[in-house]
Amino acid sequence: MVSTRAQAGVGAEPDFPWGRAPYPVLVADAAGVLTQRNEAAQVLLPAACPGAELADVVPGWLASAHRSMCLAGLEGGREPEVPLSGGIEGRRFEAHFSLRGDGTVAWWLVDDTDHQLAREALRMEREQTAFLAAASSTLLSSLNLGRCMDVTAQMAADHLADAVLAIAPARGRRLPVVSCLRGGTPTTSQEVVDPDEVPGLGEALRGFPPVPSRWIDASAAPRWMIPEDFGPIGAIVITPLPGHGVPAGALVLLRKEGSAAFTEEEEVFARLFAARAGAAMSAARLYAEQTAITEVLMRDLLPPVLHQISGVDFAGSYRPSADHERIGGDFYDVHPGVAEGEPSLVALGDVCGKGLEAAVLTGKIRNTLHALLPLADDHQRMLTLLNTALLSSHHTRFATLVLASAARKGNEVRVRLTSAGHPHPLIIRANGTVEEADTRGTLVGALPDISARTTTVTLAPGESCILYTDGITDARGGPLGDVLFGEERLKRALAECAGMPAEGIVEHVQMLASQWLGNRDHDDMAVVAISAPRSHHLSAVDGHTRGRYTA
Amino acid sequence: MTILPPAFHLTTVETRHAVRIEITGDLDYDTADLLLEEATARLSARPGLEDLHLHCAGIGMVDSMGLSILLMIGRRANAARVRLHLDDRPAQLDRLLSITGTLEYFTAQPATGAAATHLDTAESPAAATATERRTRASGPTGPDATT
Repeated sequence: MVSTRAQAGVGAEPDFPWGRAPYPVLVADAAGVLTQRNEAAQVLLPAACPGAELADVVPGWLASAHRSMCLAGLEGGREPEVPLSGGIEGRRFEAHFSLRGDGTVAWWLVDDTDHQLAREALRMEREQTAFLAAASSTLLSSLNLGRCMDVTAQMAADHLADAVLAIAPARGRRLPVVSCLRGGTPTTSQEVVDPDEVPGLGEALRGFPPVPSRWIDASAAPRWMIPEDFGPIGAIVITPLPGHGVPAGALVLLRKEGSAAFTEEEEVFARLFAARAGAAMSAARLYAEQTAITEVLMRDLLPPVLHQISGVDFAGSYRPSADHERIGGDFYDVHPGVAEGEPSLVALGDVCGKGLEAAVLTGKIRNTLHALLPLADDHQRMLTLLNTALLSSHHTRFATLVLASAARKGNEVRVRLTSAGHPHPLIIRANGTVEEADTRGTLVGALPDISARTTTVTLAPGESCILYTDGITDARGGPLGDVLFGEERLKRALAECAGMPAEGIVEHVQMLASQWLGNRDHDDMAVVAISAPRSHHLSAVDGHTRGRYTA
Repeated sequence: MTILPPAFHLTTVETRHAVRIEITGDLDYDTADLLLEEATARLSARPGLEDLHLHCAGIGMVDSMGLSILLMIGRRANAARVRLHLDDRPAQLDRLLSITGTLEYFTAQPATGAAATHLDTAESPAAATATERRTRASGPTGPDATT
């Protein structure tokens, strides 16, 4: 023992060859007394002179490692799989040991501070990437703006701050705000405030680049920005949520007083998150706007609900080609006569093409016909004017349609029918025979000159006139799946409808066509029935006013 | 009933004063544009053209879009002072044209004396073959142009 201490020193001695080794080396005996150390160790731990107790001069983790190593018996000591490590003087070291022949232990200290820092940075980076990926997939799975704002606030509160406000651009004077505390659930509110009163918020909502957090005075935050029971605010970050061309809102991150302030890296990361959240929110907003526009359009384009007008029964049914579209290329309308007893005008037609384009043309035709109602006595003139209105040099999208003017005359209903390139209207007589109305004409919208021939049919009580579009007769299906429903099958089906009320016939035809189709694709299908009700004529009481009817 | 409809394709035969396009398959929403492109290309490529024949025997279903395209070809042919002929129409096509009131438009083209002779040359296979051989140098267009 004494002789060992006597040898203590720094230099290349035979049993201590590491005097000038670049790594700190400490040698200690089984009793925990430091016996030797090299130059590098002297620089790192100036107090560690030979003869000192190891526990007094090196950090606890190294002293206890040495102790447990000696307790375990020097022979059993092996390098652990994960090297021992700990801090010394603000840096981080790995400690490797080697057993020496004289029963002492040499500790090699390897500085791995930079390695640790890199590992830590990598872990943070991975966490952030995972968080951003999770944020993207959660945000993009919803096209609901409210839900997107909730998710944004909640995710940001759990990862970036103590509390978060997601603020959408103002609607009128209201500012939609979703706020969320860390670990809490998001709450929505509408704040009637001026965003420009908060430094940085007005700019963020207008899409300007974010103001650095250190420039924002946390104490200037207005009351509405501070969640209940939050206490004083330590730091604020306000980041714009960039959208598709327009700002989608702003993200406000709050930290409590006493929490760490936002670092520059955290602010940059908040912007990365905001970019994703903003994209999702603006996609959701676009979708919501589109849905609203489609709904407005569809409200006007949807076929009307029909009923009895002036003693004539009307019924209609429409099934668009794609069930989710609800509007398409077929249409029908019933315009009541100007006065009671005047003929009502029915228009049923089919526009060439599909989807929204067809629906827009349909709307044009319905509006034009509506404007031409004063001329309803003269179907040819109506059709000629409609044709002129529709003609376009760019395309030959045409429409075929039937005009029917129906008026009650006593018990009967008189119907004037004009086809403009449309399948013949069919008349169901009381005895079950089905007749084709003798009218034909040219389609409208494609040719400069058109002609049409009008016919008049009289319906006895219980008899009906059926207008339909070729979606019914062209329905492909049947047992083999490739047969057209066809006009003959339609006539046979209608023959069985003799005496049925208008609504019943329309439903029956649509049902048969649907059964024929099964689940196959089909064109738009529209059917309208004009029926003379089986009703009693109540004669006028004073003989001057017009009679009334019961259904 | 289970035979699939033949895939849509067009075969174009050019003669001195006429162009004949043979149509095979359904003329509908998905295919009609191809016919319009082909016919428009022929009309603009041949300023001196007198007759455009659409050979319809191989046509399957014609939907409203198909008819719309035929009307467009009619309009463009008219503008180019070319007579449009719909030849060998199947009964189904005739029925569609008749219901929509367009049969007269497609069949009652203003006829001049020359029309009949060109029609004859185009519809006689031998003559078509002969003329086609003469014009081959200027660019044959169909894979089986001689039918």
